[in-house]
Amino acid sequence: MGTIDLKQLLESQTLERCPFPIPVGWYFIDYADTLKAGEMRNVFVFDQEWVLFRTESGKPGMTDPYCPHLGAHLGHGGKVCGEHIRCPFHHWEYDTEGWCKNIPYAKLMPPIAKKQAILRALPMVEKYGMMWAWYHPQCEPPSFELPYIPELEDATGYTGSRRGSWTADTCIQEIAENGPDVAHLKFLHGAPIIPPVQTTYEGPVMKLDIGQGYIQGTSYGPGLNVMRFNQHGITATMISYSVPISKEKTQMNMSFRHVDYAEGTPELAASKKVIDHMIGAAEGEESAGFESVDFIVWNNKKYRPNPLLCDGDGPVLQFRKWFKQFYPGYENSTKI
Amino acid sequence: MAVVRVIGRDGSKQDLDVANGGQLMDALRDASTGVQGTCGGMMSCGTCHVYVDPSWVDRLPPKSEDESAMLEAIGELVELKPTSRLSCQIAVDDDIEGLCVEIAPPV
Repeated sequence: MGTIDLKQLLESQTLERCPFPIPVGWYFIDYADTLKAGEMRNVFVFDQEWVLFRTESGKPGMTDPYCPHLGAHLGHGGKVCGEHIRCPFHHWEYDTEGWCKNIPYAKLMPPIAKKQAILRALPMVEKYGMMWAWYHPQCEPPSFELPYIPELEDATGYTGSRRGSWTADTCIQEIAENGPDVAHLKFLHGAPIIPPVQTTYEGPVMKLDIGQGYIQGTSYGPGLNVMRFNQHGITATMISYSVPISKEKTQMNMSFRHVDYAEGTPELAASKKVIDHMIGAAEGEESAGFESVDFIVWNNKKYRPNPLLCDGDGPVLQFRKWFKQFYPGYENSTKI
Repeated sequence: MAVVRVIGRDGSKQDLDVANGGQLMDALRDASTGVQGTCGGMMSCGTCHVYVDPSWVDRLPPKSEDESAMLEAIGELVELKPTSRLSCQIAVDDDIEGLCVEIAPPV
């Protein structure tokens, strides 16, 4: 008998549930039709509060709440004025990029306000009928674009109004890690086998092929994942767009779409069944969708930076290496 | 400690005893010279503008980019001279003994 590897036994004492900062990426903020021109509201994402507003011409903006002048909260008493958001305290005005555009009583605009945005504002785009914001901890501009998704953007070919929202008490990386972790599909979800998996990584994009084409997923950074389920002769699509609420809480949002088959066709029935199965239990299927089984694990686990993996496990470490690019400044961290 | 000669907006002259450690702006403000120093040294308000005596221009530390930007902005409202400085950027120490500044017109 050799000596006991105490590190193996005691490492758990120093583990954290979510040792990660908020990762860089594009994130869903809300559906576009929930914010009308001239409206403003406070939202909590990325571990802080933000003021979300839409200008009179229809441009969305999302800024830090606290006025650079004397710190008033723009989202409590402020208002949209034309193309700007106006602070209630002294009526300083900012555009959607955070530039100060008006100080109604100053003869001179402070020089820094002519040089740069003085209020933190997140770059935003509207796509897929949704508002998206770019998060970067050092306020760097977007380094990639959101992709064309025919299931959401081709108005004639696809249908499906089903969508949902779930809150998980963990960070976005832990949720996404279930993609490459194919072994859990057999044991947690009850799939008949551990399906083979192939992953490819290119910049912010990760492609995942589970079961030789059975499920084909593409992730565009941490905030968007398009998974196509090729089963029963049809393809049904789960578009997943999670957003970090805080370092330990994630809102998972999903839309489910399929080809616009005619009413009463077997293809339509198959499409709906595949979608049922993505979410929870479906008739005639042995395995369980994420809703019924994944949360109990996500909500209680801790992150092991040095996991004990065995043969038969999926490419978890390659996935982690890919994900690390979204944590600038943490390149040498041993906790993640 | 330094003695700084101040020429007021009305042409009056006074010698101010200023303690080491702060910025000249604070001493000028507290002596009711008309300097306001509203922004406290952030170079964002332009209310502590002075003209330093030409013989002192090269003896003071040079202007930063931010100070130059604020002075340029002030130039839209009041006369700017090669000797223009923001007094919030002049640190008080023994080296400024004998400095002479004229309070510039208000913005």
